[in-house]
Amino acid sequence: MKNRTKLPNIYLGVILVLMYLPILLVIIYSFNQSKISSVWEGFSLKWYTELFRDASLLQALINSLVLAAASSLNAAVIGTLAAVGMLKVNLRSKGVIEYISTLPIMIPEIILGMVFLVFFSLIGLPFGMTTLIIAHTAFCIPYVYMLVKARLVGLDKSLGEAAKDLGAGELRVFLDITLPLILPAIVSGMLLAFAMSMDDVVISIFVTGVNTNTLPIKIYTQLKTGVTPKINALCTILFAVTVLMGLLSGWLGKINTQKKTVLEENR
Amino acid sequence: MKLDDTPVPLPWQRREKRFSHNGKFILTVLPLYIFTLAFVAGPLVYMFILSFLQRAEVWGVIGKFTLKNYTDILDPVYLKTFWESIKLAVLTTALTILIGYPFGYFMAKLSAKWKSRMMLFLMIPFWTSSLIRLYGWIIIFRANGPLDKALMFLHITDAPLKLLYTYAAVVVGMVYALVPFMIFSVYSSAEKLDWSLIEAARDLGANPMQAFLTVSLKLTLPGLLSGVVLTFIPSMGLFFIADILGGNKVVLVGNVIQEQLMKAHNWPFAAALAVVLTILTSVMIYLYRRLAKVKDLEGLV
Amino acid sequence: MKKYLSLVLAVALAVSVLAGCSAPAATPATSSEAATDSEAQSSSAEASSAAPASGKTLNLYTWEGMFPEDVLSSFTKDTGIAINYSNFDADETMLAKLESTKGGDYDLVIADDYIIKTAIEEGLAQKLDKSKLENFANINPIYQGQFYDSSNDYTVPYGAGVQTIVYDPKIVKKEIKGYADLWDASLKGSIGIIGNYRVIDGMALKILGKSYNTTNVDEINTAGEKLKKLAPNIRLIKDDNLQDDLLSGEVGAAIMYTSQATLAMMKNPELKAVFPKEGIGFGIMANFIPSKAPNADAAYTFIDYILQPEVSAKCYEYLGYYCTNKAAEALINADYKSYLTLPADFDMKKMEMIQPITAEAEEAHSKVWTAFKAAAGQE
Repeated sequence: MKNRTKLPNIYLGVILVLMYLPILLVIIYSFNQSKISSVWEGFSLKWYTELFRDASLLQALINSLVLAAASSLNAAVIGTLAAVGMLKVNLRSKGVIEYISTLPIMIPEIILGMVFLVFFSLIGLPFGMTTLIIAHTAFCIPYVYMLVKARLVGLDKSLGEAAKDLGAGELRVFLDITLPLILPAIVSGMLLAFAMSMDDVVISIFVTGVNTNTLPIKIYTQLKTGVTPKINALCTILFAVTVLMGLLSGWLGKINTQKKTVLEENR
Repeated sequence: MKLDDTPVPLPWQRREKRFSHNGKFILTVLPLYIFTLAFVAGPLVYMFILSFLQRAEVWGVIGKFTLKNYTDILDPVYLKTFWESIKLAVLTTALTILIGYPFGYFMAKLSAKWKSRMMLFLMIPFWTSSLIRLYGWIIIFRANGPLDKALMFLHITDAPLKLLYTYAAVVVGMVYALVPFMIFSVYSSAEKLDWSLIEAARDLGANPMQAFLTVSLKLTLPGLLSGVVLTFIPSMGLFFIADILGGNKVVLVGNVIQEQLMKAHNWPFAAALAVVLTILTSVMIYLYRRLAKVKDLEGLV
Repeated sequence: MKKYLSLVLAVALAVSVLAGCSAPAATPATSSEAATDSEAQSSSAEASSAAPASGKTLNLYTWEGMFPEDVLSSFTKDTGIAINYSNFDADETMLAKLESTKGGDYDLVIADDYIIKTAIEEGLAQKLDKSKLENFANINPIYQGQFYDSSNDYTVPYGAGVQTIVYDPKIVKKEIKGYADLWDASLKGSIGIIGNYRVIDGMALKILGKSYNTTNVDEINTAGEKLKKLAPNIRLIKDDNLQDDLLSGEVGAAIMYTSQATLAMMKNPELKAVFPKEGIGFGIMANFIPSKAPNADAAYTFIDYILQPEVSAKCYEYLGYYCTNKAAEALINADYKSYLTLPADFDMKKMEMIQPITAEAEEAHSKVWTAFKAAAGQE
């Protein structure tokens, strides 16, 4: 199928530019001299120096990274295992459980935050990283679960079947055949879950403890007192790190692809 | 596939059942069962119960049964917010289809190298705070902001447009926040397309439009539908977009819930609104399953 | 068999394409999954064991940006007490959290008057031992003995605010003297208001000559009808940073909190601030120590530290609310003083504190408010 026209590519380009436009403006305004974001008063790096002096922001960043890593990993384990198992078990309750487990991404966050708060205090769990991880895991699981399941449904079952015919055990089949095949889905689910966790304010603000301010809570509460370019500066740095990580993973992926190609040629 | 929740057992599944491997696999679903029942079902049951209780005079709830919270929803003021929410969600979804469907479709036609680059480009904005991205839009829409300046420079307008705090600004914000989900969904089903089918249709004399309608659209429908679910449902609850870009004048169910919880201290009423909203979205998902004849939100990314 | 092999290869190819875009998939999955689980476990265990260090830490729970950075750091330097500053976004979040910790976890809370009243009623605040507060006498008495703590047993005020109309005479040609002037047709689409329905519904109540705290549902509904006529003039409803919109010319007039008015006036002295002639709603923020504060002594040290006139003056200049510290007033920078202290001719009789009302009245208010917002959105 040859590209008869350049139009589709132009379209893709235009939409991408629109998607990055607001981010670009946030970056530009991080160099704004003025404290009030509505007025441009010239170029300055002062917000970056202020940012690095703010120890509580950096601590919040660390908290957020730990939280997002832990919850997306929890979700990856629980979600993947369940997606694999749900296709095979024959339980009457599984439809219901599946439905309930996806509710956390369907219910307004504010309600979820409120019920989590009351529920945790009802069962006497102290507020802190534990409660944060539980709440975040709850809304991370659906992303991994749905992605992995969608991928499993699309897979050719005869593969596992063939392997079993050849005498491989259930676990072997899973590790050698199923897992590599669903890995992309697990990884993209985790990445999405990680991003959602890093972005969550509403639920976190309810279930957080005394010394577990997360970065989004910090950003949100600072936005309330005034959008200082310090926040813009922070977002610019985060953005730069994300782009770097993206490039890195793209680069690693390329190496990976090359390895695979070599492997195939050798067969 | 059947319409109910039990999938037609595939031959190999049937065999497994015969050997009753159920036991072994129960271990793999156990974590989800435990977690879901303890930490998702538990709080939700609480929400459901709460919606039938009475509010206390100033703060908290009284453990007395009442239906008042549900009858209060029937007040025209609150019914209207449901109607407004649905209207905005429909508009948002329609626009995300218009923008996101071609994007996902064209993306699937790219070379493998560009596909992965595109994926990356789409993921990166996801990783920056969504609130901050909204503030980017505020900068753009502001009176005498970049958009006004550009339009006036091009002599399209000659006075600042008051775009911020309008319905249009809310719609832009909603579409902006949700279009990636549509793109991911459409892309994942378009990616599985066998382009030779379209070639074949063309060879048989169909024009590009006919080929698209008869082959591509039909085959990407599951992705489109899951995209619809993934944009429609969140758009019912995204209260902060209406708050920030709409100057709080576009009243959605999400906003009312937020206000009842945080300002009016009427938790039972907020819970009742949330229950109704959950039921509404569940009906959506049910309809989606009927329509798409699939069992899950296939192809989220 | 060959067929299967080619299938495996085909899928592997597809996987590598996908993996390339999503993330490095090079690590063996089994070990990484095993690691993830234990990692998650250990991190959560770590977090729960890292209980707030008692002794030399003050767990302060309030909004973001209540104290200048250097006041906090010199407090730590002078007293050796580290500050653990936790934020809430709204009074309600604070009370819900404090309720679930049963008055524990936090040593000092600063919040709004009405929520403190509830906190005291719920037994979540402890009585102050005033002997530990040497500077207690510095407090301006007009901010004491209010409805939420009539005998000053529980609280130390930290800043007060009135709802002010601030307008830009360049945009708004009409002179504004009171709430009623905001209904003027010339102000179409150019008013910004805070999102507090007790304040906004209260404007209409004041015009009708009623109390902010009326529990008469008919009065509230009448006020609601009056308010609906204001809808065409409303450009935006926003609690935070309303001053930015006034400064950028997005709105011509705004009803805002004192801190916002102060920020706006500091940036643009040509703006006019008006105390509405119909009457003014008043609010006070105050410190209280939760009933089971793990480290109440640190809280006393902090309150007393902030009550020192020099420190206090610095805080109010930063905070932008009315100074509740009589001794500090003289030390406030002359440029800001007029924004941070009540005018000498201020008529205290016009002032009315907004207090909690009955559930029935509250529901009437929130319904009136929702209808008003929807009407504003229709314009």
